[in-house]
Amino acid sequence: MTKLPLGLSAAVLVFGWVLAALPVHAAEAAAGSDVFKSECAECHSIREGRNKKGPSLFGIVGRKAATLPDYSYSDALRGRNDWVWTPEKLRSYLSQPARQADPGTKMKYDGLTDAKDLDDLISYLGTLH
Amino acid sequence: MSSFPHRWANLRSGIVTLYCSLAALLLFASTAAHAIPVYARQTGSACADCHAGAYGGGGNGPNLTPYGMRFKLNGYTDTDGNGGKIPVSAQLVETHTAPARGESSMNLTEADLYLAGRLTDQVGGYVKVEADRVGHNTYNTKLRNVDLRFVARELKLGGKDLTLGVSVNNSPSFDDPIAVLPAATNLGPPGGQGPTGTFLKLSSANAPAYRVIGATVYGLYDSDWYGEVGTYNSLPTSTQDHLGYSISGDPGKIGDTGYFRFAYMKDLKRQFFSVGVVGLTTRRQLQRRGSSDKLTDLGYDLTYQFLGNRENIVQLSYVNILEKRRYGSTPPDPGTPGFTALPRGALHDETLSVTYTFRQSYGLQLAHLESNGTRDAVRFGPYGNPDTTANLLSVFWAPFGKDDSFTSVANMKIAATWFRFTRFNGATNNIFGAPPGVSTTRPADLDAFLVSASLAF
Repeated sequence: MTKLPLGLSAAVLVFGWVLAALPVHAAEAAAGSDVFKSECAECHSIREGRNKKGPSLFGIVGRKAATLPDYSYSDALRGRNDWVWTPEKLRSYLSQPARQADPGTKMKYDGLTDAKDLDDLISYLGTLH
Repeated sequence: MSSFPHRWANLRSGIVTLYCSLAALLLFASTAAHAIPVYARQTGSACADCHAGAYGGGGNGPNLTPYGMRFKLNGYTDTDGNGGKIPVSAQLVETHTAPARGESSMNLTEADLYLAGRLTDQVGGYVKVEADRVGHNTYNTKLRNVDLRFVARELKLGGKDLTLGVSVNNSPSFDDPIAVLPAATNLGPPGGQGPTGTFLKLSSANAPAYRVIGATVYGLYDSDWYGEVGTYNSLPTSTQDHLGYSISGDPGKIGDTGYFRFAYMKDLKRQFFSVGVVGLTTRRQLQRRGSSDKLTDLGYDLTYQFLGNRENIVQLSYVNILEKRRYGSTPPDPGTPGFTALPRGALHDETLSVTYTFRQSYGLQLAHLESNGTRDAVRFGPYGNPDTTANLLSVFWAPFGKDDSFTSVANMKIAATWFRFTRFNGATNNIFGAPPGVSTTRPADLDAFLVSASLAF
C-alpha cells in the first residue's frame, strides 16, 4: 500500500472536514435566518448602513462594540470599550435579558433561551459579510 | 304594525341616500391606509415590520404585528436616533367601482395628507386629513382620525415594566393597540336606516367616529396586560360641519360617557394571541334636545396570529359587541294608531376576519359581518328588523415596504375587494319594503366590486 505524503494527508483531512462541515453550517445558517426574522429583524437590518431602532448587523461578528459611525449608541454600550462581538460574546449577550447583560442599554430583549436557536442565529450572523 | 305603503313612502326618499352612503362606506373600508411612510422614515423600519402586509395591513384594517402594537403603544415616538425627518406623508387612491346595480366608474377617489410621528421622546401622533371624491371633480375635505399621545416609558411597578400614556383622539377604540375593534379596522356590519348598529361600530349611522373628542389614559404592564379608561364628548354640529362632516350624521349630544378596554396580549415571537373586553356607556340625545337614550356597549374580542419567519402569516380576529339601549322616549307608530316604539332594545354586532399574507406582499382576507337586534316596528324600517349580514373578500399586492425593497420613501398597493350582502333590513328580498307593482331591491343589489391602486409617499 502506497503511503501518502504527510502534507497531502493533512490537506485531504482538512478538505474532508470542510466538506463535511459546510452543509452543517449552511443548514444552521438557514435556520438562523428564520430565527433572525422572528427575533431580531424588527429592530435590526442586515443591510450595510441601514439602522433601525437598533444598528445594522451587517458584519457584526468580529466587530468592536458601538463602532458604527452613523448610529446613536447608548452611553452604556459606548462605555464597553473592551467588547468585541465574537461568537462567544454574542452567545453570552443574547442568552440573557439585554438589560442584564448591559445595564443601561437601549436594547429591549428578553434573551434567547433555546440553545439550538442561539447557535443557529450566531451561525447566520457570521454569514453577514 | 304599520302598512307597507306607508313605510314605503317614508323610506323611498332615503334609499338613494342610503345607496350613496353605503358606497362611500365600502369604498372607505377598502382603501383606508394605516401604515404611512413617515413612520418608516422615522424608525428606519420597513412598513412590513409593523404590519403583516407591506402596505399597512391587508385588504382592510392595519393588521398590526406585535411590533406594530408596541410602536402604537409607545405613542408613535420610536426612532432610529437620527432626527430631521419631516413628519408628513400623502396618499392617492384611484378606484374602479363596479356596483351590482348602477354604473361602473373609475376615479381618483381619495387624496390624503398625514401629519404623523414623534414630536419629542414622549409626544407623538397620527392625524389624517382626507379629501374624498363626492362628484365630478368635486372633493370633500375632512379631518379623519386624530390620535395625539403622551407616553411615559421605562417605568417600573413591582419590578415589572410599565408604560403609561394619554391619548387624545376622536374615535373610540381607534387608538387600541391590538387594532381589531371596529374603529381601528374600518370593518363592521353595514346597517340599514337609523342607528341600527352599536355605538362602537364605525359603520353605524350616527356613529361617533370623527365627530367626538375624548381622552383616554392607558397602561401596559409587564408587556402583556393592557388597560385603558377614558371619556368622550360629541363636537358641536357647527364644528362637525367645519371639519367636513354632514350634520345628518351627527351622533347627537352625548354625556356621562365612559370607555374602557382591558386585554391580555401575549407575544410569542412566532405567534401572538390576545383576549380583550371593551365597554362604552353614554347618554345620547340623538336630536340634541329632549329625552336621552342610555346606551351601554359591552364586547369581547379574540385574536391569534401565526407569524413564523414572516413568509406565511395568518391572522384571525373575532369581535362580538352587545349594546343595550334604554330609550328616553317611545314615539308612536305614525302608520298604526295605538302602537309605540319599545322602551328598550339590544343590538349585537359580530365580525370574524381571517387574513393570509404571503411574503408580506400578497394577501387574501375573508370577513363575515353580522348585525342583529331587537325587533322594533317603529324604530327600524321597513320591517322593524335591523338585521344585516354581509361578507367581504379582498386580495392585495404590496410590492414595496419591506426591508429589501429598493425604497422606503414610497409604497404602493393594488387591491380588489368584493362586498356581498345576504340580508339587509332583516330581509332577504325586497329589502326596502317596496309595495306591489314597484321594482324591489334584493340584498345582492347592494354588492360591489372594487379595484383600487394606492400610492403613498
